[in-house]
Amino acid sequence: MSLRWFSNRTRKDQDFAEEIESHVAHEVDANTAHGLSPEEARRKAHLRFGNARTVREREWRDRSLPWFEDLKRDFSFALRALAKAPGFAIIAVVVIAVGIGVNTAVFSVIDAVLLKPLTYPNPEELVSLTNTSPEGSFPGASIPRFSLWRQQTSIFQQVAAYDFGGAGLNITGSDHPQQVEGVHVSADYFAMFGAPVVAGRTFTAAEDSPNGGHVTVLSYGLWKSRYGGNPNIVGSTIQLDGQPYLVVGVVGPKFVTDTPADLWVPFQFDLNSKDMVVFFTVAARLKNGVTIPQANAQLRLVADQFRRLYGDDSLPHGGGFGVASLQQELIGDTGSRLLVLWGAVAFVLLIACANVANLLLARAAARKREFATRAALGAGRGQIIRQLLVESLTLSLTGGLIGLGLGFAGVRLLLKMNSGDIPRIGEDGAGITLDLNILLFTLGISILTGLVFGMVPAISASRANLAAALNENGTHASIGVRSGKLRSVLVIAEMALTVVLVVGAALLVRTFMNLQAVDPGFAMHNVISMSMSVSGDRFQKTAPVAQVIQQGTDRLHAVPGIIDAGVSNCLPMAGGFGMSFDVVGRPKGNSPSTGGAGFCSISYGYFNSLKIPLLRGRSFTKEDDAAAPLVAVINQAMARQYWPNGDPLKERILIGAGAGPAFAEGSRQVIGIVGDTHDGGPNRDPSPMMYIPLAQMPDLETALNSRVAPLWWFVRSQVDPRTLTKTITTALREASDGLPVAHIRTMEEIEATNIARQRLNMMLLAIFGSAGLLMAAIGVYGVMSYSVQQRTQELGVRMALGAQASNLRNMVIRQGMTLTLIGVVVGAGGAFWLTHFLKSFLFGVKPLDPISFIATPLLLSFVALVSIWAPAIRATRVDPMTALRVE
Amino acid sequence: MVMKRPPEAGEILQGTLDMLILRTLVLGPAHGHTIAQAIEWTSENALEIEQGSLYPALHRLEDRGWVSSEWGVSANNRRAKFYRLTIKGRKELNDATGRWRRMTRAIGLILGESFE
Repeated sequence: MSLRWFSNRTRKDQDFAEEIESHVAHEVDANTAHGLSPEEARRKAHLRFGNARTVREREWRDRSLPWFEDLKRDFSFALRALAKAPGFAIIAVVVIAVGIGVNTAVFSVIDAVLLKPLTYPNPEELVSLTNTSPEGSFPGASIPRFSLWRQQTSIFQQVAAYDFGGAGLNITGSDHPQQVEGVHVSADYFAMFGAPVVAGRTFTAAEDSPNGGHVTVLSYGLWKSRYGGNPNIVGSTIQLDGQPYLVVGVVGPKFVTDTPADLWVPFQFDLNSKDMVVFFTVAARLKNGVTIPQANAQLRLVADQFRRLYGDDSLPHGGGFGVASLQQELIGDTGSRLLVLWGAVAFVLLIACANVANLLLARAAARKREFATRAALGAGRGQIIRQLLVESLTLSLTGGLIGLGLGFAGVRLLLKMNSGDIPRIGEDGAGITLDLNILLFTLGISILTGLVFGMVPAISASRANLAAALNENGTHASIGVRSGKLRSVLVIAEMALTVVLVVGAALLVRTFMNLQAVDPGFAMHNVISMSMSVSGDRFQKTAPVAQVIQQGTDRLHAVPGIIDAGVSNCLPMAGGFGMSFDVVGRPKGNSPSTGGAGFCSISYGYFNSLKIPLLRGRSFTKEDDAAAPLVAVINQAMARQYWPNGDPLKERILIGAGAGPAFAEGSRQVIGIVGDTHDGGPNRDPSPMMYIPLAQMPDLETALNSRVAPLWWFVRSQVDPRTLTKTITTALREASDGLPVAHIRTMEEIEATNIARQRLNMMLLAIFGSAGLLMAAIGVYGVMSYSVQQRTQELGVRMALGAQASNLRNMVIRQGMTLTLIGVVVGAGGAFWLTHFLKSFLFGVKPLDPISFIATPLLLSFVALVSIWAPAIRATRVDPMTALRVE
Repeated sequence: MVMKRPPEAGEILQGTLDMLILRTLVLGPAHGHTIAQAIEWTSENALEIEQGSLYPALHRLEDRGWVSSEWGVSANNRRAKFYRLTIKGRKELNDATGRWRRMTRAIGLILGESFE
């Protein structure tokens, strides 16, 4: 009712006016009837009724909400007041928009990553099963572990296994073979994650057991893109790696898994297997009411049981099982990273607040007479404060609205350029959507901001001394010592906050430069990589895989412009699989093996394709095949660590001793030492690596590999390899009898994603730092300009008394720089304390990096000096005559 | 939705005026001037209606649905807004009269006989 009630008000008032008129007319009639003259009758009638206007006004007010009316009046007044000072209003709104925009941007990422729950039903019940050890916990499972875990029905509703990343599968049987993300899962997977089935069903327990037949479930995306949403797809057969697979179901579009999948096939584990190889990952849904600590307690007992079943060696000393929240697992350390960013943007907002408060103070000083006049006319102190607050809220809400758009668009744009390796934000940050959280957050900080920067000037303006202000000459009503000091304090605060921001930015820039300067140990220029899935029955033995590699390599060698091509089963730049080894004849002491190292199977062209230098001995050749003696090449880090004094080239190593039957093989002669590579990214030290020829892998290992990882091709060319993409893919498909390739990326692109998070951190902090710097510059400029303007008369007198222009200029500069220097010192102190929070983000630079700590204050002082220069010059241009004549 | 307004001074008096207006309207629809005169005459001029407060009271009664109003022509052949008692208003008048009677009786009991 209330809204219509308000809109009816004017009409009702009109009605009332007529009613009053009618009343008075009747009174006049009555008076005339009593024999009064018409004038007298009229006069008496009006007298009797009283002041009609007052009555109407009272009624008008009665029909309104007083505070609402006042607010409306204050608001329209604020708009008029701001319209009168458009320059001020625009600067203030822009500063606030930037301050709030960066906050909205960072908050929207925090919202998507940390606050939004996983898209699965009851995500808080989902846990990932981990292997615990004194060094920490890591996911990963073998069939015996999975088998034992899924028996724990007292704590878990479901336990499901799925691939870490997956080797990929090839859809064949048409002219367009396609490599797809095919994920192996156990039958409970879909039920556990609550996957909606849009057609057919998911796997039955029988289909997920050995010899359960070839079945698959399609994702909505693949069903639409490859099969055109064919409604009869369920029950039909598709070809995967040359084998017919029965499509049993399609899951809904809303089912988005962390590892994106195009289709799923059942693991078909033999649950009685004693194979200890860890090659997949396991998650579970906790039973209702079971907490993570309870589950962990139970799993400790399960670990003991595991040891009893499979022997003491089956788990490492001090190792056990545990669970961790799946969401936590996905987020990893992103939380702390985002919080550091949030700290930075909070600084930007504080600087923005200080800046606008400063502007408002200056404006309040100029409007001092206005407030005094209003106070003299009866406005209470509360009313003046309220009106000023409404003004600042008008500014902050406008700024907030612009900031919302700016921040939201900005973050999408930024993440499109560089997703920064942040989990859960989707493709190019598409997972970041405008939701109620973000709207409320922006509204909240807009109001808070308006109150914070508005309160100080409002209170200080309302404190004005009436008589003094009215008596002052309007042109230089002084702001008073108190608010003059206040403004100086605000500038100091801005400077200090900016120093902290810029020091942080400098540290991250140095980190990024250091990372880029690291020699990765292999060639990145003109090298392209791509994956080839060797899944399917055809590749369960080593010989056919080796044949594909050799034929592919031969084909590529024939392509003009290609220098060399090589293959590895390790993800580019991700390091090898960890593997234990023994040095033959070396006593092991108490430990089960000599040590551990990264392990990669490669083709003979690998080192040359990536220009990994051979330091000693020889590299692999075509002749190092299955028939030849077993050989291995190690890297320098491994030679240093395990042969500090000896010569590895004189020794043999036994790789994967005790790691399971798949890895059982004879000992290998170490034939060469190659240079170290920074596989785990430039910020990781090279770790020991051992390489063996792909052609010499045991068959069982090849079979296992075909399920865990694809082959990665690396092709180096004389020209930009992207121009050869088509030639390369065609050559490889022909050489492999129809295998497609996917994930085609240059090494430079991979490198870029490897340091994407550092690049994003650096970019963001650089943006925040620049924003802070700009605002601080505006702040110090504003204060000094204002001070010069206020002191026109004093400067005039000084000049008249013979002060040199340079004296006056230096005086202004001295004052401005004093504020700056205090701010810089305070800020450096703050940075001293705050930069240690950045420690884990830095590489090759200490939190107390002297260069950053020296360069930043210098930069800031320089910027401040430039900002002060203009007002300082203005001080020297004061014409003494004009200045004195003002009085 | 009922708007809450700040309570005004002289709540009893205001309530009394409401009651008197409703009572006047029992006789039939009337416009503001007639209502004021009727109250004054009936009370033998003991009660003088402050005309400026009559109309706010009328509008308030209308807001509460105790009276309805429409424009018409008065006996003097002038345009006037006529107020009519509604069923709700009649019930309220009954309640108010009962309350008033109980209160005056109670006050009368306390004050007792005159003191001469």
